Amino acid sequence: MGEIVRYKRDVWGEEVILGVSWDLLWVVAVAVLILLAAHAIIMAALANKKMDKPSAEGRRVLRHEVVDRLFHWIMAASVLVLMATGVAPILGLRIAWLNIHWIAGLLLTFVVIAHIVRSLFWQDFKSMILGPGDFAEPFDSAKKPGKYSFEQKGMHWAVTVVVLAVIATGLLLFLQIDSPFWDRTNSMPEDQLGLMFLLHGLSTLALIALVATHIYFAIRPEKLFYTRSMVSGWISEDEMTANHDTSRWSPKEAD
Amino acid sequence: MAYMHIGKDFVPPDVVGKVTGRIKYSEDYSRDGMVYARLLTSPVPHGRVINIDASEALAMEGVFGILTADDVYPDGEPQSPGLKVLTNEPTLIGEPILAIAAIDEKTAETAMTKISLTIERLPFVLDPLDSLVEGGPDAYNGGNTYIFREGFAQEKWTTDQVASFRSGNEPTAEAQQGWAYGDLEAGFAASDFIHETTFSTAGYPHMSMEPRSAMAYWENGKCYLHGTSQSLSAIAEPMAAIVGVPLEDFVFINEATGGGFGQRARAGSIPSMAIPAKLSQKINRPVMMRVTREEEFTIGGARQGLQGWIKVGFKSDGTMAAMDMYCISDNGGKGGGGDANSAAGGVSALYQTEAMRFRNSSIGTNTAHRGAQRGPGENQIMAIMAPIMDKAAEALGLDRLEIRKLNAAQNGDVSGSRSTPFTSAYMPEALEQGAAQFDWEGKKSRARQTNGSKVRGFGIGQGYHNAGRSGMDGIVRLMPSGRLAVHNGIGNLGTYSYASTSRAAAEVLKMRWEDCDVITGRTDRHLPITSPQDGSNSIFTNTRTCFGAAQDLLVKMKEIAAMDLGGDAADYEIDGSRIYQQADSSVGMTYAEVAQRGIELGGKFSGEDELPEDLNRLTQLSVSRLAGSALMGVYHDPRHNNNPPGFTVTFTEIELDKETGKIEILDLVSIAECGTVVHPQGLANQLRGGAVWGIGLSVLERHLYDPQNGLPASTGYWQSKIPTYLDTPANIGTGWVDLPDPENPVGARGIGEPAMGAVSAALNAAITDALGGHLFDTAPVTTDMIINHIAGVSEDAVPLAQNNFRG
Amino acid sequence: MVATSHDVMPDIELYQPTDEANALELANTLGSDGWLLGGGQDTYGWLKDRNKSPAAMIELTQVDAWKGVKEIADGVEIGAVTTLTEITNNPLIQSKFGLLATAAGRVASPQIRNVGTLGGNVAQDARCWYYRRGLDCYRAGGNICYADSPEGLNREHAIFGASRCVAVSPSDTAPALVALDATMVVSSTSGQRLIPAQDFFVGPARDIVNMTVLNDGEILTAVRLPNTWANAEFYFEKVADRNVWDFALVNIAAAIKVSGGTIEDARIVCGAVECTPRRLDAVENAIRGQQRSEQLAEQVAAIATDGARPLNYNHFKLPLMQNLVKRAIRG
Repeated sequence: MGEIVRYKRDVWGEEVILGVSWDLLWVVAVAVLILLAAHAIIMAALANKKMDKPSAEGRRVLRHEVVDRLFHWIMAASVLVLMATGVAPILGLRIAWLNIHWIAGLLLTFVVIAHIVRSLFWQDFKSMILGPGDFAEPFDSAKKPGKYSFEQKGMHWAVTVVVLAVIATGLLLFLQIDSPFWDRTNSMPEDQLGLMFLLHGLSTLALIALVATHIYFAIRPEKLFYTRSMVSGWISEDEMTANHDTSRWSPKEAD
Repeated sequence: MAYMHIGKDFVPPDVVGKVTGRIKYSEDYSRDGMVYARLLTSPVPHGRVINIDASEALAMEGVFGILTADDVYPDGEPQSPGLKVLTNEPTLIGEPILAIAAIDEKTAETAMTKISLTIERLPFVLDPLDSLVEGGPDAYNGGNTYIFREGFAQEKWTTDQVASFRSGNEPTAEAQQGWAYGDLEAGFAASDFIHETTFSTAGYPHMSMEPRSAMAYWENGKCYLHGTSQSLSAIAEPMAAIVGVPLEDFVFINEATGGGFGQRARAGSIPSMAIPAKLSQKINRPVMMRVTREEEFTIGGARQGLQGWIKVGFKSDGTMAAMDMYCISDNGGKGGGGDANSAAGGVSALYQTEAMRFRNSSIGTNTAHRGAQRGPGENQIMAIMAPIMDKAAEALGLDRLEIRKLNAAQNGDVSGSRSTPFTSAYMPEALEQGAAQFDWEGKKSRARQTNGSKVRGFGIGQGYHNAGRSGMDGIVRLMPSGRLAVHNGIGNLGTYSYASTSRAAAEVLKMRWEDCDVITGRTDRHLPITSPQDGSNSIFTNTRTCFGAAQDLLVKMKEIAAMDLGGDAADYEIDGSRIYQQADSSVGMTYAEVAQRGIELGGKFSGEDELPEDLNRLTQLSVSRLAGSALMGVYHDPRHNNNPPGFTVTFTEIELDKETGKIEILDLVSIAECGTVVHPQGLANQLRGGAVWGIGLSVLERHLYDPQNGLPASTGYWQSKIPTYLDTPANIGTGWVDLPDPENPVGARGIGEPAMGAVSAALNAAITDALGGHLFDTAPVTTDMIINHIAGVSEDAVPLAQNNFRG
Repeated sequence: MVATSHDVMPDIELYQPTDEANALELANTLGSDGWLLGGGQDTYGWLKDRNKSPAAMIELTQVDAWKGVKEIADGVEIGAVTTLTEITNNPLIQSKFGLLATAAGRVASPQIRNVGTLGGNVAQDARCWYYRRGLDCYRAGGNICYADSPEGLNREHAIFGASRCVAVSPSDTAPALVALDATMVVSSTSGQRLIPAQDFFVGPARDIVNMTVLNDGEILTAVRLPNTWANAEFYFEKVADRNVWDFALVNIAAAIKVSGGTIEDARIVCGAVECTPRRLDAVENAIRGQQRSEQLAEQVAAIATDGARPLNYNHFKLPLMQNLVKRAIRG
């Protein structure tokens, strides 16, 4: 343990990067587990002092349109498949993972592109912008967010950066294997290839940490209504007013 | 002529050692305090060593020192092609950069991993055509070719010129070298059948069983080098120069050599032997350097590959009227040989073409060191030419044997750029003898007959190499014991010619072979200069010197007899143990007595003065050290006239399986035309060994480099696909014409190289025959190529491939 | 430095167990550090080139229980360290499973067959020269294939089932064992696994660094040939560049049950076309129930190469494979 990068000899015997050290997978897993467990414990300790949970009953407002929910779940599914297929051979599982991996990768790529396009032209892009003011939000209980909280924006942008990194490196690596669309070449120098593997690996590790955190928060009781909204699209007016500044976010009523 | 020894089989003195395994090769020697050297070789096909940090390795226990190019060449490496002892400017993967000496090989190997080598990678190239194209990489620092007396230079064609050549057209660029004779245009104009094609032949390594291991030590200022060579005395002086020691302080020891085939003829092709000598000098311990199989492949040299274009015209009667040949020679990483020139000379000699033009450019690649390999040039081109001869015969309605016979070299014919006459030539006789022994007339009608998926093919091949030199020296000594010591410096390559040529001396003195000792194996046994044992010359060259030295001895014997017993020297006769008066055989003395008298008389009799003029320096040194020890015959061989050829003819019948692409050789007969036969068993073995190698050239052997990174892929016997026992026919018929050559005292000429070329030619012709006349225009023709041809698959093909598959 | 032929073995701890339990215990204890040594014909090249440096070797050839050929209830069992020469010459194998005797007799050279074992022959590592040179390719745990590229020297490589790695199954006996529907007996301290020969081999899609499903600590101890295919009509052919000491360009092993000229059942397997022996199910299906004839052979041969994906230098393997299928069906 202890090494971040694995090295190999290139064809002429010179040391080049091979990729990330997969020992880090365990480091990440343990670290995330500890952090999330700590969070859970602290939250449990604070639970008493918390206000009552806002009611899910009553008027419903639209938080996520159906197409965005679809995007989210396709992304979620493909990311999970990518992680599973990518990690399986590292864990020593003998499955034919590669085709599933790149197909899921392509799917993720298309959905991410679609999402980007949609967010830029059809969605309220501003609602996701993380401004300097947002950083005060966690420290001021009186300050409520617009559509997305500071944590949500933070998570979204972190995932954005990491997913784009995984996709970019993944696509470059995809070009290095045979596919129905092309025959592979060895045109990428081995040191660059190793760097791509390293970045792909590092971003994968980051993504694993983020996904674990994301899932954790998604299933936390106080946040569960957000998860529900990603399934059904709506939150209750009660939930909205309890968590959001309606002057900054005024959603339509849900159908 | 009835000979006592010439033309008779005998058991060469080293046979027992070879059969029992007791004979010593360089790797079998050891010396008190001996340490072991390992080589650090270039990991890149072309580079420049920036820094070597060996401090950690040198600090290890049991490590005694390293030797680098800076030690070997304190004033800088020579800026010329050719293998260096060690180099900082490698131009092929596996070129030795440094040697490290340690208590054992494992320590040396481990120490090697602790050396930090910083090397700058430079562009590399594996196919001469890729280097020829404008903007293409150059194999050497300073260009892609070397011009004699001028240095490295760049030779470039336009992209279109290269593309045009690749697609089968005559190269339009000016060639580096060439020669011509006759009226080419008129020849083509008079031709009724003209064949024009591009072709390529593969280069490949020599496959010597014994790697070029060497062991050296110094004693009292003398360097003793146990090495491997095919030329014992010829190598001494240049090797001493490479080691950097005067000839008189250099002892080269080489009792037996496990194969040479051209790559060990000259010091320049095995400079690595100087590594243990230099290292031993530096660390003051005996050093053994064991060379691995892979190293043997990387620095052991390889045949040149040829990429070429030929146009050949035949008159209606089958005469070859004109031949135009343009070659690109693959010079490899360290400069190359003259294969293309020899190829053209070979065509001229074998087919007696009336007009001929030859052009060639030699281009470097970052592949193995290139140099002469058995029939360099001739053997490749014959594999290309034989199917063309058949095509011409078919087009002109001639028998395939007849077209060869009417173009064959005979007494009085000339060949080559200078129209040099042959000393003698009996090619039609060889063809006739081969046809009879093979039963060509009886069998030829079976050609192209099918049996299931199998189809028969027949081929006739011809081989040629210039096969004799002169101008060397001979030393024989009649000992007071009555025994004859024949000093022979040929080297013991495995052909036994060191022994068989020595028998010319026994022949002159009518001595029983049991009473003769061949003195050889190490230069401090005082050897005469001999021509390097290459170019099929040994039999011709060294029967001349041994014969001449024995003649000199005989003259001296007669002089002594006349002096002591009265009468004229001319009155005396010998019987192999006594010299006596012809008139009264009771008046005489034994050889032992004559020898003793020779020592007593001294002077010219015991080699102390009146030596022949023009003796080589090595011979002079040897004679001076032997002087007074015996009655001596010393001889300097004058130059001979004309070109002594070695000719071979091969007839073969094959069965080609159209479903598997495999061929089986059903019959193969090789006939030698090499003057008087000296050693029938040796000759038969040459023909058989040549056949095996010819099969390799024709259908199997390969020399591959990964185009992506220059890695050698053929670094062992199995990757190289040398023929195995079951790839060769169970019986290889042999025979010889056995007509004497006037330029040799026993009528002999050499044969080694052509023995292979005729077989490769015959086999390629037979494949073409079996495939209904399809010409591959390449050697080798491998299984995959045959399958692809039959199936009409073209995707694998790489036209004019060099150091790659041909497909 | 780049891997070259160092020709000097590294230090290795050598274990020479003579009984089964001891050997299995060693394999279990040493795990991935314990290199299994059979006849050494796969091993020594790796070691002398210093391209693999295991800490320890377990020599399997002194365990008598794993040697020899014996008749069992429903067939024949061959110890995994039985030499190929012994298998070639064994009367029982010759009489009932001539396919394997022939295949074993076509491996490499007499010298290699004299020491090479059946277990070693089927479990041997890929022979791709890039990999054997010690390059850090996919199969060696790296991230690249040097053979599968427009310029890579891939004449001997796969036309089927490649996944990043394009190495092929080099064994001559493996196709015969698959054709004979053999069972591989795999032992470890935790017991025995019986694996059909067809499932014993694994391709790069599932496992890019191993050629078989053997796990650390497991040893292939025997091969069982069921009587199901005994005395069927067999066909084995290996096409290699050389007739001795070479790996197949393509080989074929076929077991065909014929009754009254009709093919009742068949198992046809090709080697050297994929990372595992390739069972030609489609061909088998096409000929089952048909009259064995030249015409049938011509008809179905092309099916054999359906889905083949040749590389730059191995297109010839398609017609060659088709021709071998023809010959097998033709008989």
